[in-house]
Amino acid sequence: MELNRRQVLKLAGLGVTATAVPGVLAACSNGSGGGAGDGSVKFEGWDYEATLVQQNLDNFTKTSNVKVNYTPITSAQYVQKVVAEFTGGGGPDALYVYDDSLAAWVEGEYLQPIDGLPGVDDVYAAIFPGNAEAMTYQGKRYGLPYYTDSNCLIYNADILAKAGFSKPPASLEELEAQAVKIKSMGLLEYPIGLPAQLSDTWWAWVWGLVYSSGGDMFDDQQAPIMNTTDTVTKDVLTWLQNAANKSKVLDPASLQLLPVPVDNAMKANRYAFTIGARYALRDYNDPQKSKAAGKMKMALVPSLDGKVHGTISNTRMYGLAKDTEVKDDAFKLLTYLGGFDASKQPYTAKFWFQQRGLGFAYKELAKDPEIVAALKKFADPAIYAQLAEIARPRNVLGVAWYTEFETEMHKVVQGVLSNQTQPSAAVASLAQTAGTLKKKYS
Amino acid sequence: MSVLTERRPLGDNAKAWALNAPAIVVISLLVAYPIGYSFYVSMQRNNLKRPRAKRFIGLDNYKALLSDDAFLSALKVSALFVLVVLGMTVVLALLLALVLNERFRGRGLLLSLALLPWAMPGVVNGLMWRTIFDAKTGALNGLLTQLGLIDSYQAWLTSGTGAFLFTALAQVWNTLPFSVIILLAGLSTIPSELYDAATVDRAGAFRRFTQVTIPWLLHPLLIVLILETMNAFRAFDTIYVLTGGGPGDATTTIALLDVQTVLTFTDFGLGSAYAWVITAITLLISVGYIGLLYRKGNFEV
Repeated sequence: MELNRRQVLKLAGLGVTATAVPGVLAACSNGSGGGAGDGSVKFEGWDYEATLVQQNLDNFTKTSNVKVNYTPITSAQYVQKVVAEFTGGGGPDALYVYDDSLAAWVEGEYLQPIDGLPGVDDVYAAIFPGNAEAMTYQGKRYGLPYYTDSNCLIYNADILAKAGFSKPPASLEELEAQAVKIKSMGLLEYPIGLPAQLSDTWWAWVWGLVYSSGGDMFDDQQAPIMNTTDTVTKDVLTWLQNAANKSKVLDPASLQLLPVPVDNAMKANRYAFTIGARYALRDYNDPQKSKAAGKMKMALVPSLDGKVHGTISNTRMYGLAKDTEVKDDAFKLLTYLGGFDASKQPYTAKFWFQQRGLGFAYKELAKDPEIVAALKKFADPAIYAQLAEIARPRNVLGVAWYTEFETEMHKVVQGVLSNQTQPSAAVASLAQTAGTLKKKYS
Repeated sequence: MSVLTERRPLGDNAKAWALNAPAIVVISLLVAYPIGYSFYVSMQRNNLKRPRAKRFIGLDNYKALLSDDAFLSALKVSALFVLVVLGMTVVLALLLALVLNERFRGRGLLLSLALLPWAMPGVVNGLMWRTIFDAKTGALNGLLTQLGLIDSYQAWLTSGTGAFLFTALAQVWNTLPFSVIILLAGLSTIPSELYDAATVDRAGAFRRFTQVTIPWLLHPLLIVLILETMNAFRAFDTIYVLTGGGPGDATTTIALLDVQTVLTFTDFGLGSAYAWVITAITLLISVGYIGLLYRKGNFEV
C-alpha cells in the first residue's frame, strides 16, 4: 500500500491526538482538581526565606499531623505562575496573596471566601482596619494576614544633625528646606533619593505622599478625583517636580534606581532621606549590612500642610483556593500561619517579626514586650505603631484594571520628575487613563 | 507467506513522508500549534483576570490597535529603535568585518574578542550596561571624569533621548558579532583576482569597495538586514533590564509592551494581537528587503 501525503498526515494527526496531547496537557497541569492529590495540603508562596517557611511548616505538621507540600516560587514570577497554574487546573490549596492581586484572583474564581470559618471573626477584630479592608473584596473576607507594612520617611539623623536639625521634617516644605541646607553645606549633592525606575512593583512612595497629605486619587466608587475634587495629587507632583528640577534636592538618578540601589545608597550614607517601608530600617540599622547603622530613623511621611493625615499600607495574606479538596486541613494551615494558636497568640506573625522584622497586622503585638524590645533595636516603637494606626490601603485595589493604572502612573510620575510633564497635565493624564481602563473593563 | 511476497515496498513519496513524519509531528506540536493557537487567542477577549468575560470577538483586538495610544507610541519607538540599531549594526559590522578580513598579527585574538558579546544573554548584557551607565558608580562616568570630559557624574538614562540611544548601543553591542560573522564569511568568498583586476584598471580603494566588495556582499547583507531587523523589533531583555521601558515611554518598544500586556496585565487576547502585528511587520520588512536586494546580488555567496 502506498501512502499519500494526506493519509500520512491523517495518521500522524490521529497518533498525536491519541498519545501526545494528553501527555502534554497532563504536563501543563497537576491534576484537574488542583492540590497535591495525596491528601496533603499543597501550599505555595513567593520565595522569601523559603527555608524559614519550611521550618515553620514542619512545626505545623508536627503539631497538627497535617502534611504540607510547600513550593516556593520566584517572587518576580509569582503572580504569573499562580495564574497559569489555576488556569491549567493545578493550583494550590493554600497560598500567599498580594493585596493588589486579590480582586483579580477572586474574579478569576481562584479563591474562596473564609467568612464563617472558625476564628476568622476573631482575627478580623484583632487586626488594624486597613489590613482587614485589604483582605476584603465586595464584602467578603478572603485572607488571613501574612505580613503588612506601611510607608514612612526614613532619614539619616547624623546628616541632619550636621546640618543643624534636631528633628525630622513634618511638612514637604520643611523636607525641601532641610535638604536644601544639607546640599548648600556640601554634605550631599542630592539629599533625597527615591526608587523611580519603571518596574513591575508598585510605587508605594507616591501613594504614601498623597495619603500623608490627606488626599486620594479615587473616590469610594473608584472614580478618579485627582483631576477634579482632590488637588492633593497635583500639589504633591508639583512638589516633586520642584524638588527634582528647581531646588535640585531630589536625585535625578532616581529615574534609574530600583529599590535595592536606593537601599544600598541609604546604607552608604549617600542620601539623607527616602520614603520606604518600615521594615527597611532593620537592614539600614544592622551594623553587619550598613555603614549608616544606628543613624537611620523613621518618621511620619511629611505632608503638604505639616499635619498628620495618614500613610499607605500593603497587606500580604494567606488565601484558600476555591477548588481545594482538602479544605479543612488547608484552613487549619491558614489559621496556623495567619491566625491565632491555642493560646490565642498570633504565633506565625510574631515568628516573622522576630526572625525578619516583617510587620504584623495584629494590634496587640505592638504592646508585646518581646516585640517592643526587638523593635527598639532598629526603630521607635511609638512611631512604628502610629504608622500602623494611620495607614490605609489603596482604595482602588478592588478594580481589575489596577495594575494597568499603576504602570501608567509610573510613567507619568517619571515625566513629572524629568520635567517633561507638568503636574496639571499629569493628573489629567492619570484621570484619562483611569477612565479609559474603566471603559475597557466594563 | 503469500502475504509477505505480495507486500509491495513503500514508494519514494511515502518513504519521504514516513521519514519526515516525526519531525512534522514535533514541529506541528511545538511550533505550528502554538502559533495557530495564539492567532485564535488574538481574536478573543481573553484576560485571565476576567475569565467570565472571555469570548470570541473576531478582529476587534486588531481594530482597537488603531486607536490604542500605548500601541501606537510603542510602534513608533520600535520603528526608530530598529532604524538606529540597524544603521549602527550594519556600519560597524561592515567596518569590523573589513578589518578582520585583513591578515595581521593578533587577528585571531581580535576575532575572538569581537565574538564575545554574542555569547552573552540579553539579560546579562542589560545588567552589564546598567552597571556601566550607573549614575553613581558607573564605569562610563568614571572614564569621562578621568578624561576631564565631565565635571560630575551624570544620570545617563534619565532623559528620553539618552535612555533611547544608550539602550540602542547596548543592543548593538550584543548583536553586532553575529553580523560580523555573516559579513566576514561573505568577504572571504570574494576572489582576490577581482581586486587585482580592479587595481590594474586603476580603481582606487573606494571604487574597489563600491564596485567589487558591496555587490558581492549584497546577499550576506540581506541576511544581516533581515535577522537584525527581527532582533531589533523583538528586543526585550536588554531594554527591560536597562530602563524598564522608561523614562516615560521613551524606550517602551512593542515587544516590551507585549510582554507587559500578557504577563503583567494577563491580557492574553490583546497581547497575542500585539505579537501577530510584530510578526506581520517583520515579515513585510523581510519581504521588502528580499525584493530590493536579492535580485541585485550578482554572485552567489
